[in-house]
Amino acid sequence: MMGPVDPALREALAKQFPDVFAAEGDLDPNGVVVPAALHVALAKTLKESFGFTLYVSVIATNFPTAEGETYEVATVLRNPTTAQPFWWRVRLGADPQLATLYPLFAGADWQEREQFDLVGVNFVDHPDMRRLMLSEDWEGFPLRKSYAIDTPHTPWR
Amino acid sequence: MAIDDGRSFEHPLYHYWENSPGGGIGLTTLDRLLMHSARHSLWFFPMATSCCAIEFMTAAASRVDLDQAGTIIRPTPRHCDVMVVAGTITVKMAPRVKKLWDQMPEPKWAIAMGSCAICGDFYRDIYSVVPGVDVIIPVDVYIPGCPPNADQVMVALQRLQEKIKLQLEGKFVERDLRPGTMIYPKIGTHGDARQSAEVAQAQLDGARGLGVGGKEHRVPRPAAVQAPPEADATSDSGEQS
Amino acid sequence: MNLRQRDRINPHLDLDTVDAAADLMALNMGPQHPSTHGVLRIKLFLDGEVIIKAVPYPGYLHRGVEKLCERLTCVQLTPIFDKHDYVAPMTNEQALNIALERMLGVEVPRRARYMRTILAELQRLASHLLWLGTFTLDIGGTIGGGASLMMYTFREREPILDVFEMLTGARFHYNTHQVGGNRHDIPDGWAAAVKTCMDQLAARMPEYEEQCVTNSVFLMRTKGIGVIETPLALELGLTGPNLRASGVDLDLRRDAPFHAYDEIKVNVAVSNGCDTHARFEVRIAEMYESIRIVRELIDNVPEGPICSLKPVRTVNQIKLPEGKQMYTAIETPRGELGTWLIGGGAEKGACPYRLKIRPPSLHAMAALPYALVGHTVSDVVAVLGSLDPIMGEVDR
Ligand code: SF4
Repeated sequence: MMGPVDPALREALAKQFPDVFAAEGDLDPNGVVVPAALHVALAKTLKESFGFTLYVSVIATNFPTAEGETYEVATVLRNPTTAQPFWWRVRLGADPQLATLYPLFAGADWQEREQFDLVGVNFVDHPDMRRLMLSEDWEGFPLRKSYAIDTPHTPWR
Repeated sequence: MAIDDGRSFEHPLYHYWENSPGGGIGLTTLDRLLMHSARHSLWFFPMATSCCAIEFMTAAASRVDLDQAGTIIRPTPRHCDVMVVAGTITVKMAPRVKKLWDQMPEPKWAIAMGSCAICGDFYRDIYSVVPGVDVIIPVDVYIPGCPPNADQVMVALQRLQEKIKLQLEGKFVERDLRPGTMIYPKIGTHGDARQSAEVAQAQLDGARGLGVGGKEHRVPRPAAVQAPPEADATSDSGEQS
Repeated sequence: MNLRQRDRINPHLDLDTVDAAADLMALNMGPQHPSTHGVLRIKLFLDGEVIIKAVPYPGYLHRGVEKLCERLTCVQLTPIFDKHDYVAPMTNEQALNIALERMLGVEVPRRARYMRTILAELQRLASHLLWLGTFTLDIGGTIGGGASLMMYTFREREPILDVFEMLTGARFHYNTHQVGGNRHDIPDGWAAAVKTCMDQLAARMPEYEEQCVTNSVFLMRTKGIGVIETPLALELGLTGPNLRASGVDLDLRRDAPFHAYDEIKVNVAVSNGCDTHARFEVRIAEMYESIRIVRELIDNVPEGPICSLKPVRTVNQIKLPEGKQMYTAIETPRGELGTWLIGGGAEKGACPYRLKIRPPSLHAMAALPYALVGHTVSDVVAVLGSLDPIMGEVDR
């Protein structure tokens, strides 16, 4: 139904982010890959100039590779007037750190805490980077591929 | 065990009465009264966490109406006799469940409603789920199902009343087994109390995969109703998990 | 004085900076509290009875569903999805199956799309009825008369569940959708049962509405309480009725159609009130609209197959393409339920590699620290009830 980026938006964005959007050919259908340094700037531009004011979600994923752990953080925004969603991805290395979107979107508060809790991506400058779902003393990050699904937690299981 | 030998009913006045002439008669009458009221005014504490809680609410609401059995649902542990654990218990919740159970005054009973409370359902193997609430508290009656039908709460209540009666009469009460660990012949005793022997046998056979009457049994489909093969197979495959 | 709500309220307020003369008290609400809609804990910092800061602690029902999704194949996932939002299992199944269908490029037959639309609207009605009952129960209290409306709404909800039972054999947790269509075809007499049920509900709805809006106590407890201003609602990612009550005209049924919504007209209810009462109004209006849609569609279900793929025979018959990622969202009774799906997991791609659920309730809960500040303790349940969170979906 919806491609990740519609052409008019891509053209407008190419002026500001030539590295990402002015490349040859089609953009990655899975979502544009953006350098971590541009993460906040892109979100700010989308929110303030293109009307993507609805904060939808943030998704962190763990990809273990032969060279070591890698992570991907995808962010989804939506334009409430056209109902068009927009998402992009940031690739991170073995020690995942990414700037927070909390100053731009209040909803990022809990969403980023949840991803920190389950995947272990650290969002820098977040005012309150605690676990959200699991108890404070939990060890490990359950949604990492190396975490066993049936990890015991004495005395309860 | 939640059902103990009845010592928790003991009151200092008992000794006084027992020793006074004719007091024994009064005591037995009082015992009967206690027994009656304990059975017919069970107050429920809803330890309601997830989906089964909705079905428990339905049981309390218009159609099943638990109130007709003299129960009141009170969200305060200190007022209640029966804890109904309806829903998944997680590692984060487990200490709270234990604490709430400890706050309930004796005598107290527990009902585990739904497969999550019984054994953890398919969340059983997950890092954050307690595999069955009987890891934490002793359970008297299990209601199997995901979720159990609302009227099964009523059946469980009857089973509990029966157990309380036996126990207060000083009879031996067999412990209900967790359905997962049950051997087949016990299925009938645990489920619907009004179930007849034939129905129980049919259910038992069905559970063993034999079909009704111990034979391979299949109802042939009348030719007129037969749907085209694609749609037919589709509706065939609708087994509930 | 005219600061935006976001700037006015700091959910991470450092209490040491508050005037030392203020006699602050911390009050813990939950996790076992009858009005928290499940197991939610809120820590309230009070000055007298006024809330200075509210810190919700979710996670008491964290069942690790996203981890489980990586271990189960796509066919096995449908019954798991029933259990997140256990008040609206139908729409949850649809969210999963639409995500899988879009990733695989599978077409759904027209009959199945119509059936899905009817089921979604019926589910919306059942969900909103349960919300209306519990919301008024929270506000009125069991003893204070709140339970009377709850009894009525549960009575109305039963026929809808019976209709579902006729179709699928289950009261809830239906497992009636599959990739490419539905599993259970419409049985004889189903349309008549749905119509009877809708007629009954349509006749009684005005009465229930009147019970609330003519009650001055109800109005006092809802008007001007729990305000979430439009920019903040957008920033937080509120969706569905909560967002529409904050004055944003966004409904995925109309704006990004799925099922058969592109063939029918959906009237979207919007209110500019931003408060608890506005959320009440929007949901009531949605219920009337759902009744209208069901009545319109129930006689026009087209003939044809109900599934475009082969019926389910083995658990790993559906394979997802490796490395493909996608965000798909549909409108459920609670708002935008999205799934971020990455294909190519275990079992040679039959399991998703990662499946993140975007729960509308979690975003609604995140509004609490903003909406509660300045109100009294008794308003907590009113605000919480009006946001209609389901803890199964918040914690997953
Ligand atoms: S047994 Fe089934 S219905 Fe009950 S809480 Fe568990 S998953 Fe939900």
